[in-house]
Amino acid sequence: MTFNHFNRRLHLYLGLALLPWFFMYGISSYVFNHPQTFEQRFKASGVPLWKKRFERHYDVPVPADGDLKELGARIMRDAGLNGSFGTYRQNENQITVYAHTFWWSTQAKYFVNEKRLLAEDRAFRWDHFLTGMHARGGFDQDSFLSDAWAVVIDIVCLGMLLWVASGIYMWWKISIVRGWGWVALLGGVASFLFFLWKM
Amino acid sequence: MDGEDGSGRAPSHARAATCKLIGMISKLIRRTHMYLALFLSPWIVMYALSTMAMNHRKGLEEIFGNGPPKFERLKVVDVPAGVVKADSPRPENAKRLLDALKMDGMHNVPKARADGTLVVVRHPASAPVRITYRPDTGKALIEKQQGRFSFLLERMHRRRGYQHPYGVDKAWAFSVDLVIVVIVFWVLSGLWMWWELKSARRLGALSMAGGLALFAFLVAVL
Repeated sequence: MTFNHFNRRLHLYLGLALLPWFFMYGISSYVFNHPQTFEQRFKASGVPLWKKRFERHYDVPVPADGDLKELGARIMRDAGLNGSFGTYRQNENQITVYAHTFWWSTQAKYFVNEKRLLAEDRAFRWDHFLTGMHARGGFDQDSFLSDAWAVVIDIVCLGMLLWVASGIYMWWKISIVRGWGWVALLGGVASFLFFLWKM
Repeated sequence: MDGEDGSGRAPSHARAATCKLIGMISKLIRRTHMYLALFLSPWIVMYALSTMAMNHRKGLEEIFGNGPPKFERLKVVDVPAGVVKADSPRPENAKRLLDALKMDGMHNVPKARADGTLVVVRHPASAPVRITYRPDTGKALIEKQQGRFSFLLERMHRRRGYQHPYGVDKAWAFSVDLVIVVIVFWVLSGLWMWWELKSARRLGALSMAGGLALFAFLVAVL
């Protein structure tokens, strides 16, 4: 097997193996680039975005500052929630734990002064399903599967870089397309630099 | 319907024409796949590197610190009288201020301050620039946010949408749409090109099935 052949096969098989992620990133980017379209459609449906699951008395100590992860984990446990989560201090009186999988999202709002915990489920939306997949990443969840997703994202990124490199090599090997290839490549680089300069 | 040779196949000249047409379509698909890839390669490299940076944000913060990037003073300039008016809404004042400083472009205006100070944050691709105008002095302090290369990548990654009134931002949003359409085209044309390569069908099918199975599993459980 020559390097040229290896390069072509690498380009192809990598593309086929990572096709679901690449396709997902493409489709979900449309939702990010046209958010108003999807918001208007959802508003027109009349379905409330958040639906109360429960509301009850709750009292736990809140650290004055620093990492809220431990508090978030406790609220998750006490509220009977699972999945990945993030904990945010909305203001002095409110801690919000946002728990999510690709399929559902629940927020637990702890109102500190009122000693009240409110849990709300978010209505399922396909646009949120796609953007949720698109935005998911990182190694900050204590979960093997979340880490596995993050590892695959790294592989997809490396795959994209390899497609560019192997694609350029393949282009260079076809001498009859070099002229127009230069036009395309330099046109793309110039356009990108123009955006960097003018935005 | 039987062909001229009674074999049940289309006549040989018709088959040859069909083959020629498929060959032309195939070549067109291959060339389009390649030229679009060459043109959009800077976008793909940017999206790949920025996604990696975001995927490893925690690690990068451990190395470089996780505080908000600081603003570094660039200069203080005099703002001509009448540019910022006490009775004008803040967005209009911000626009006039940016025009006067020849810095107009995508920006946001943080909450009003009690002392009447007007703060405008301009968002060029490179790094955010904060302009703080003080009505008592008539001067504007211009500061640029410091940051790592990964911040630039992340800003480019997150820049999208047609909501801003500036032509260059709308053109960028259009380029994002172009990338989206082309990604779908690459997927479909890639499948076409794979299927044409008979020798690669089996391993290709294995690669694709493996990828689909892993994707479906992770989407189901995460």
